[in-house]
Amino acid sequence: MMATGIRDKVAIIGMGCTRFGERWDVGADGLMVEAYIEALADAGIERARIEAVWVGNALDDINVGNSALPAAHALRLERVPVTRVENMCATGTEALRGAAYAVASGAIDVALAIGVEKLKDTGYGGLPLRTKGVQNDLWMPYGSAPGTFAQLAGAYAARHGIAPADLKRAMAHVSWKSHQNGALSPKAHLRNAVDMDKILAAPLIADPLGLFDCCGVSDGAAAAIVTTPEIARALGKVNPVTIKAIQLSASNGWEMQFGAWDGASVPNTRAAAARAYAEAGIADPCGQIDLTEVHDCFSITELVIMEDLSLSDEGRAPTDILDGRYDRDGAIPCQLDGGLKCFGHPVGASGLRMAYEVYNQLQGRAGERQRAKADLGLTHNLGGSPFNSVAAVAILGRLN
Amino acid sequence: MTFGLADMGGYLPLLRLDRRAAARELAWTGLPMPRSGWRAVASWDEDPLTLAVEAARGLCGGDVPISLRFASTSAYFTDRAQSAMALDALALPRSVRTSDFANTRRAGVSALGDALLGQRDEIIMAAEKRPTQPGSAAQLAFGDGAAAVRTGPDGVARLVGHASLSHDLIDRYTSRDHRFSYAYEERFVREVSVAQMYIPAVRAACESAGITPMQLSHVACAEPVSGTWRAAAKALGCTASNTCETLTELAGDLGAAHPLFGLGLALAAAQPGDFVLVAGFGSGIDTLVFEMLAPAPGCAAMVAALAEGQVLSSYSRFLNLAESIALDWGMRAEFEQKAQATVLERIGRDMIGFIGGRDSLGTVQFPKSAMPVNPALAQPEMLDDVRLADLEATIVSVTADRLNFTPDPPFDFGLVQFAAAGPGGGARVLMEMVDRPPQGFAVGQPVRMRLRIKSQNVRLGFRTYFWKAAPLARPLLETA
Repeated sequence: MMATGIRDKVAIIGMGCTRFGERWDVGADGLMVEAYIEALADAGIERARIEAVWVGNALDDINVGNSALPAAHALRLERVPVTRVENMCATGTEALRGAAYAVASGAIDVALAIGVEKLKDTGYGGLPLRTKGVQNDLWMPYGSAPGTFAQLAGAYAARHGIAPADLKRAMAHVSWKSHQNGALSPKAHLRNAVDMDKILAAPLIADPLGLFDCCGVSDGAAAAIVTTPEIARALGKVNPVTIKAIQLSASNGWEMQFGAWDGASVPNTRAAAARAYAEAGIADPCGQIDLTEVHDCFSITELVIMEDLSLSDEGRAPTDILDGRYDRDGAIPCQLDGGLKCFGHPVGASGLRMAYEVYNQLQGRAGERQRAKADLGLTHNLGGSPFNSVAAVAILGRLN
Repeated sequence: MTFGLADMGGYLPLLRLDRRAAARELAWTGLPMPRSGWRAVASWDEDPLTLAVEAARGLCGGDVPISLRFASTSAYFTDRAQSAMALDALALPRSVRTSDFANTRRAGVSALGDALLGQRDEIIMAAEKRPTQPGSAAQLAFGDGAAAVRTGPDGVARLVGHASLSHDLIDRYTSRDHRFSYAYEERFVREVSVAQMYIPAVRAACESAGITPMQLSHVACAEPVSGTWRAAAKALGCTASNTCETLTELAGDLGAAHPLFGLGLALAAAQPGDFVLVAGFGSGIDTLVFEMLAPAPGCAAMVAALAEGQVLSSYSRFLNLAESIALDWGMRAEFEQKAQATVLERIGRDMIGFIGGRDSLGTVQFPKSAMPVNPALAQPEMLDDVRLADLEATIVSVTADRLNFTPDPPFDFGLVQFAAAGPGGGARVLMEMVDRPPQGFAVGQPVRMRLRIKSQNVRLGFRTYFWKAAPLARPLLETA
């Protein structure tokens, strides 16, 4: 018998998300508590209903710690199974996937997915470099995250014959749009609008990415409580938000080692998106998806993602971006909450933060940012680098 | 078939410090120092091992040599043979004998003399990257670089005479407790070394060659202080100019590599039948007299290398590269790069030798793996060794990373694609890029491989080595 996928087998009945940013006021445990309490209240259930927990945390040795224990301690979980998951920047979606699959399997009724990262105690604005003398340390360059993603730009320009200055302008518009949206997000790390000239004139971080082409990292946590649609209805959620699809795709070394890739797209995003569209029954992504929250770690990443998700035709993303197609009032708005760029990027929480915005948009709870038509939303979470990545695509909608 | 010097190689790092600029920076001190010419400056990721390997790369063809010798007074490891690491970097078989020569600047010439007198097919490498103290004359007078010689039956230069003297004259020294070279009074050194070493040793070498010093056409004579050879030549009646003096002016005193690099320059200028002298100095003197038989291709390349480079006018950047100042690079620099002996034993030879693997369909990959990366293959298989170090590649993607810590920003890296060297595709590798051209690197640019330091653990005093991509050619040194 063919697998039928996860479509409409799991409902999200409660979500929570902390304010992202430089949270000097609170530790990792406090961040988890904030997201968890909000999710519990939103779900309207007692914590005893939670039968299992998936906790996502990408950088265990920074401030949270590995294993089940940090979450179990922070939330004082009552001897329930807790599974820590890690899949680089796709960790948040991975946690949601674990919880959703557990419910869909019928093994449990109610599960919690929570993602958390506490980075700002280490005192600097990027991710730390760690080497332990293993095989890759003997040859692989220690590039920064902007350094790896910046390489999409030159490769994209080469593939499509676009002038670097024109590409840079489209990239700048990506960041401009996210700052516009972030200003309307009460929980966002950066809530300031920035003009195009300032973005274009910013100092270079990794050619051709300037300061405003890059997201920073943040402290934060986000959580989702999932159950079956039947239980959701029994809890009074008449038309609950359901998961239409969750798909992951991981590099096997092909991009880095096999000479067939030109570096101008992310094959894992394409693979995960194709499977997610099939799982969700989406034949026309442009016509059916109302909003997206994608992994805009860098402006060029978002630009390339638009093509990888088949929302822009090949080579058309710069034009679509400059035409405002992905702006707040555009055809398919992207990063209505400000995205990684402005809402922030606590690595292990980001996938769940994306789901949080879509979840709120689907229920008309997004305040000033509310999209008029919000029936189907997509999240895209990308870990690693363009040449060695884990891509996660989730699609959320309503049951009916 | 004449046994002798078969070929030579030389390597100088890309950057040349403009001594005038450095001297201007220090003018307020009134300290004496060289004020003209250039000093070859190694990058932060070059050391005597990497310099030596670069010099010797062109000498490994033909028969497998009997021995690989490494000579230096500034080798990084003191209980780990540089020659054994170079053996792996040059992908020579483990049956080749290796040994390190140290503790005197004449070590390279001594090793060459031993190989020639023993009629052994050897590769002798000499390299230096000597630490120096800011303000010292040595800091601007010294240079970083390497030279290498292959001896063998197809000699282009025949050893016709030699002489050595051991003499513990302390012109300068370094020690465990004094890592910077401590120099004594120049006139004392010149007078004693000329009278007691250069004149008698050159005379004896020429005598054993059956010639007079006047018959020497070309001289590569390492000098403890400037003017040494001129004083000796006057007494010897020799009019040949000293290529080592030119080398000092254009690249600096290369220590153990200096006389060998100078020999390459001398042989490049010589004609068949000419007599050429090389002299290594330090705790004595070794002199060798050659009769030039035929041109050596490597010697012409050494002349070319001397004319290439990028001028370095920033004295503070030089100080940083020479590890003469400790800049505060911030928290990003606070990471420890460990290395594990077990991992090095398992795959270290493939790493320092840049050995990839070819699958059964002909596709090359790096690093090797049990399951090939080729999607057409679904079972584990043994991959055949393919050395990538000597192949050219093309940049697929690249960035100048200004966030990532490197001691000499920016950090250039990206994917490179090696040309197919068989029925399948060439290897694709994520690599660091070095010897940055002024305009930076670009997609589509061809690159060649250079051995460099990959990681260093300062606290534990350990380094690992890997290859980095560099532009195919270097610019001519600006003389304006």
